[in-house]
Amino acid sequence: MQDVEKSSFSGKAELLKMLDGIEGEFSYEGTAYHLPVTYAITGRAIHTGDEARSAYEDTGGNPLVAAECITSFEQAKHGKEEDPYTGFIVDSVLRKLGYSLVDGSILGLALLAGTPPRPDTAAAICRELQEKYILTFLAGDVISSLMESGVKVGAEYRLVPLGKKPLRGIHFIDIIARVAMMFGGVAPGDTDRLLRYAQERARAFVIVFSGLDEPEIEVYDTFSLLGIPILSVDGYDGREWVQVEAGDAVGKGLDLKGIKVTVTAIPIPMACSPAFEGKSIRKEEMFVEFGGGRSPAFELLRSRPAEEVTDGKVTVIGPEIEDIREGSAVPLAIIVDVYGKTMKKDYEPVLERRIHNFVNYGEGTWHVAQRDLVWVRISKEAVAHGVRIEHLGELIAAKFRIDFPDLLDAIQVTLITDEKKVLEAKGEAGLIYEERDERIRGMKDTDVDTFYSCTLCQTFAPNHVCIITPERPALCGAITWLDGKIAYEISPSGANQPVLKGDMIDEVRGEFEGVNRFVKKASHGEVDRCSLYSILEYPMTCCGCFECIAVMVPEVNGFLIVNREFTGETPSGMTFSTLAGTIGGGAQTPGFAGISKGYILSDRFLQAEGGIERLVWMPSLLKEELHDRLVQKLKEGGIESLFDKIADEEKAVALEDLIEYLARVDHPALGMPPLI
Amino acid sequence: MPMKVDIISEWTGEIGEVTIGATKKEGGSRCAAIVIGGGSGFPFLGGSAPGRKPLIAFEFCDDPKLWSPIVTELEGDVVNDAGDWAARVEELHRPDLLRFYLTSTRRRGFQDFSQLRRTVEEVLERSTLPLIVEGSIDPAIDSETFLCCGEAGEGERLLLGTAEEGRYRSVAAAAMAYGHSVIAQSPIDVNLAKQLNILLRETGVPHDRIVIDPYTGALGYGFEYSYSAMERIRFAALKGDEDLAMPMISSAIDSLNIKEVREADPGQRGEMAVKWELYTAVSSVIAGASVVCVRHPETIVPLRSAIDSLWGKTGGGD
Repeated sequence: MQDVEKSSFSGKAELLKMLDGIEGEFSYEGTAYHLPVTYAITGRAIHTGDEARSAYEDTGGNPLVAAECITSFEQAKHGKEEDPYTGFIVDSVLRKLGYSLVDGSILGLALLAGTPPRPDTAAAICRELQEKYILTFLAGDVISSLMESGVKVGAEYRLVPLGKKPLRGIHFIDIIARVAMMFGGVAPGDTDRLLRYAQERARAFVIVFSGLDEPEIEVYDTFSLLGIPILSVDGYDGREWVQVEAGDAVGKGLDLKGIKVTVTAIPIPMACSPAFEGKSIRKEEMFVEFGGGRSPAFELLRSRPAEEVTDGKVTVIGPEIEDIREGSAVPLAIIVDVYGKTMKKDYEPVLERRIHNFVNYGEGTWHVAQRDLVWVRISKEAVAHGVRIEHLGELIAAKFRIDFPDLLDAIQVTLITDEKKVLEAKGEAGLIYEERDERIRGMKDTDVDTFYSCTLCQTFAPNHVCIITPERPALCGAITWLDGKIAYEISPSGANQPVLKGDMIDEVRGEFEGVNRFVKKASHGEVDRCSLYSILEYPMTCCGCFECIAVMVPEVNGFLIVNREFTGETPSGMTFSTLAGTIGGGAQTPGFAGISKGYILSDRFLQAEGGIERLVWMPSLLKEELHDRLVQKLKEGGIESLFDKIADEEKAVALEDLIEYLARVDHPALGMPPLI
Repeated sequence: MPMKVDIISEWTGEIGEVTIGATKKEGGSRCAAIVIGGGSGFPFLGGSAPGRKPLIAFEFCDDPKLWSPIVTELEGDVVNDAGDWAARVEELHRPDLLRFYLTSTRRRGFQDFSQLRRTVEEVLERSTLPLIVEGSIDPAIDSETFLCCGEAGEGERLLLGTAEEGRYRSVAAAAMAYGHSVIAQSPIDVNLAKQLNILLRETGVPHDRIVIDPYTGALGYGFEYSYSAMERIRFAALKGDEDLAMPMISSAIDSLNIKEVREADPGQRGEMAVKWELYTAVSSVIAGASVVCVRHPETIVPLRSAIDSLWGKTGGGD
């Protein structure tokens, strides 16, 4: 084991000696960037030994500058190394390389240097790098070792042999420096921007074998300044050099630089596309079903530590498709374990909801509902084409990888069809569901300083902006604050953007300076103010997707709510669809608001108008749907009796009947301050 | 007495400018470097600075079998050689810009990239106007196609098309590597237009090298949506949204295939096509397009005279 710290210390002195030895004029050909590393760092063009030494001194003895000047000098003195060594790579080739990096046909850059312990060690690493679309540069004995074991090297194989000595690995850095200047707009001499560009944008890592001499260790150790990790397969210890087994080197490098290899085709015997999402599988087309009240079933997505998740692993516990009788109902647990560096527990439910979409993407698979209410079917046709239960897992794992490449590093799916084991696991899942509900229930608007916007609907309601808060989901009911947060993290330029609350303008109405500023901009200047907790003053605009409409009924001093499913008349004299036509399209309509069902249960609902006690009417179906949660909430507020005082279409449709009913039950709204 | 219209405006934003083409002095071979865009108002309203006068691009291609026969029959044999066609367009039709579609890449299994490179080079040799090049529309061959276009046109400051959400990387890469600009097309939606521009910016394409194509439906075939999208893009830009403050290009490519043209009396078909292109293009110009594209050669003269007459009276702010 060579100690990096010690070697680099003595390497420095030796490097300086080598630098002292260079003389005469030298330069690279085929570049507009002089000696690119030195040019990028200092902004100076170096042609002589004295210039080189002064640049070295002025950069505080930067080993990269030394290595570059020495390399350029040696190449000028001894001429280019013989084939296949490339030496310095000219700008025109580099431009093409930069093209491939931007274009995505190359995902990253790797440098392999030193002397591999066995030829096949390097060969295996190179094969993996090729498979992962990494352009690999080689320096040192690794090149001859590869060639001896029959590996073809050359740019066309994405294995570029730079030179005989590991010191020639400096070309790897001159490439990164030029890419920064060509593509990243980094000005020569702007060291800060160069470092930032390299650290943030350069997807590059280095794998070293033994055999680096001391000056080389000193040079390679400096790579870390540029955010380039050094993975040591054998021979070195110390500083930030990462010890890895040869077999893990590539994976580790990809992981450290966040390089994700995307899958495009899912290797299962079934087509898979959003086009099939709406396709249902009827009973007579079905081979097997799971859940739906016919057998115990549930789905669960959990975030797990890295060591517990093997990416792409799919396990089926219990009977597979060939053990199942056609037309039967079988128990099923879908357990998706994920690991991601930026994955958070909060994301679990949101990601779990995607299982629904993914399973429906399969041409022969169908999925409804969620959690322990799921209902899944596989069609006869799919089974005839060879689809098995394990393919459900493959499909889910692959789709998560494709859709969340930045969030998830590893996905593993376990499918249980054994009844006893399903029931066991289901009990545990129940606890997790409960815990999650508790967490979201507990979240308050005052706990966060950022809300999220949604402008998905601007395609048809051009100036509508939804502001989503922990206590006020999007009016369509489909996006909670957490969903918005995750959507933003996954797609930072998408329709959900963070909205800083800013200074409070009115606590009761829920008006914030930051929200107003955002809404003004996102509504293209149409809406100046937005109160989040009021329906009367500056209410939020409505697109057309609201689950429910809340309508002021001034005659009874309260509000009624009508949901989309209810087709009858309401005491306002209008049906849902007439109301929807009046308030939609991105306008602010005081007295009316499009809301989600979830918002009704929030403390913020009608906050400015006096709270839930203003609620006088809603359709019986909605009342039934919300029953448990609403009663619970009213109980907490000590107004449990309110539930029965809220009228529905059976109690009153005409306004006069409503007035009479409310008076009879002594509805609290009647005694509250007048709304207008 | 002429009616006086007050232009209500709290506009603070300005439309950016994009340069297309490079002269010999600048390292290219074009007769001029054309600047499009600019301005801090709408065209033809007078008063506020409307930016530069809208320009006309003529569209042609390298595989005439995939082009409207109304045009290819009129142009004759020349369409079988992209270089000849380019030369003829410049000499006879005299547009402001050329827009060259590599339709050959749209054939199934296309792989002949060296021919593609020669074709682009030939068009550059035989023409002098600033050039817009439209590459492939298939993600499977985007990478190689745009590399060819980018390299063959190095130094010419081409405008390269077309970036879309989901497949913009190759076009962006070609623009960044070889100094060209990019057409960013979104499906008639101001927010998607913005999103794509942000994606391009994050990839590293600077704002002054992006031209927005909001997608233009033919008149009577959805043009009103395009008009509205263009207007809204312009409004957003003028209100200060920098991610939308790029000049726009509009090409109602379906104009020659619509029912009215197809079913017109054979003798009238050309005339009908010209009318349709003309009225669509004039409307696009009013909505704020900086470049309007046509495919029928006879559209150019009346379109130019329409733009000139509008511009002369009000557009230039006199």
